[in-house]
Amino acid sequence: MKPLNEKAARVQAAVAEDKMDEVRAMQTVTAGCATTLDPGWEVDPFGGVAALCQPMEADLYGCSDPCWWPAQVPDTMVTYPDWNADAPNAARDWRSLGTVFPDDAST
Amino acid sequence: MRLAILTAAALVAAVPAAARDLLITIARPGNLYVFDAKARELIADCDLGANPSPGVIQMSQDGRIAYALVNRWEDVVGIDIQTCERVFFARQSEEGIKRRSIGSLAVSVDGTEIYTVRNPVRHLIDRYEVMEPELAVYKTDAGLEAQPDRMFPAPRRSTLMAAGDGGEIYIAGHDVYRVDPQTGAIEVAIPNRSWDRPTYSGPDVLAFWPQGAQNDQFMLLYTAAVFTDETQSEMADFVWGQQTVNLATGETEIADFASFEVLMFSGIRNPQAPNELYGVYTQLSKHDLATNELIKRVDLPHTYYAINIASDGSEVYVGGTNDDIGVYDTQTLERIGEMRVPSGGDMGTSTVQLVTVE
Repeated sequence: MKPLNEKAARVQAAVAEDKMDEVRAMQTVTAGCATTLDPGWEVDPFGGVAALCQPMEADLYGCSDPCWWPAQVPDTMVTYPDWNADAPNAARDWRSLGTVFPDDAST
Repeated sequence: MRLAILTAAALVAAVPAAARDLLITIARPGNLYVFDAKARELIADCDLGANPSPGVIQMSQDGRIAYALVNRWEDVVGIDIQTCERVFFARQSEEGIKRRSIGSLAVSVDGTEIYTVRNPVRHLIDRYEVMEPELAVYKTDAGLEAQPDRMFPAPRRSTLMAAGDGGEIYIAGHDVYRVDPQTGAIEVAIPNRSWDRPTYSGPDVLAFWPQGAQNDQFMLLYTAAVFTDETQSEMADFVWGQQTVNLATGETEIADFASFEVLMFSGIRNPQAPNELYGVYTQLSKHDLATNELIKRVDLPHTYYAINIASDGSEVYVGGTNDDIGVYDTQTLERIGEMRVPSGGDMGTSTVQLVTVE
């Protein structure tokens, strides 16, 4: 098995050094913008889903606009500031939220 | 630190002259809203002229000016809530350097100064250069192209701020710091990362909603693991706690009050019964800080981030997230009213501030 990224390589090294007790999965740790993939809508601090914001749309802009969850939706802070400009109410307007793609100037 | 503003024709309408609570919040697409809380009536709809995120609001001591972080953490705008006139604006970034304030905004009690902690990042052609955080002090009369009057080094990873009656400011970060904005001197007011609790994990503090200053309170909630002994090998409990700075006296307190059973994103204490703490998220919870008992908890129609409380302690207001502010009776936790923002836009992370006016 070959690690695909640096983090996986460090896990592999931990196994080799018998240090797996020091490895912590970050599934219940929110560390903020751009430092990790936040658990977002996938898991809550209790390891389940019942304590996630209800419904998800109540939380969508509160988390995406301040860049709390940088990966699951377009980055409205820097790269796609107008992604949700035509959808002021997430619960009502979510169908207007589309997928984004880098334009020629960004690639 | 009672808040009072002069009676103004634009705000009085048909309501008799008497103390009343105003709720101030921000919603999409770019509006600052003022509600008469008890009347459940909108009394001002001001154009922010800016992107509303994050919508962190601090009110001037006289209750007239709403200062807010807007334009994706970058800028500070001041709006006169009686006239909707923009009276202050500070563009914090400059060419090549982005400066964002992650919730860090406060207004001096005498109303002459605004404080932010700015996190500068220089955008170079091949990399970002993370620069040192800075405490910026603006004069409130600096107008619409305000520049800092003075600057000091600031703690990294600063979030909420509050101003004390003695001229000091408080910054939430790895610890809760007390800062002299005249000299930049920093001391720890409430230890968090450095707390001396050998059977506790470090605290986790979500500090995003600066609410309670009208009651002299700068309160943050924390969660922490509690272990059976100092080896921290066996967990005994996972707890909620509150840490509060009395903005009038500078006195501080920190104490656990409940087990960690539900999330709470923000909380507020009852000015008429400071032992009562109300916390909000997908549930609304009422705790007794004197007995550490959960008095009552109710499910809400959806998640709310922000909470504030009437000056007479009779009802709480929950907002943020969607487009409605829910009103709950503090005795029964029954939903007794609601106010909707006219734009129908989400409030997102916006603060729900409250001022009492004559």
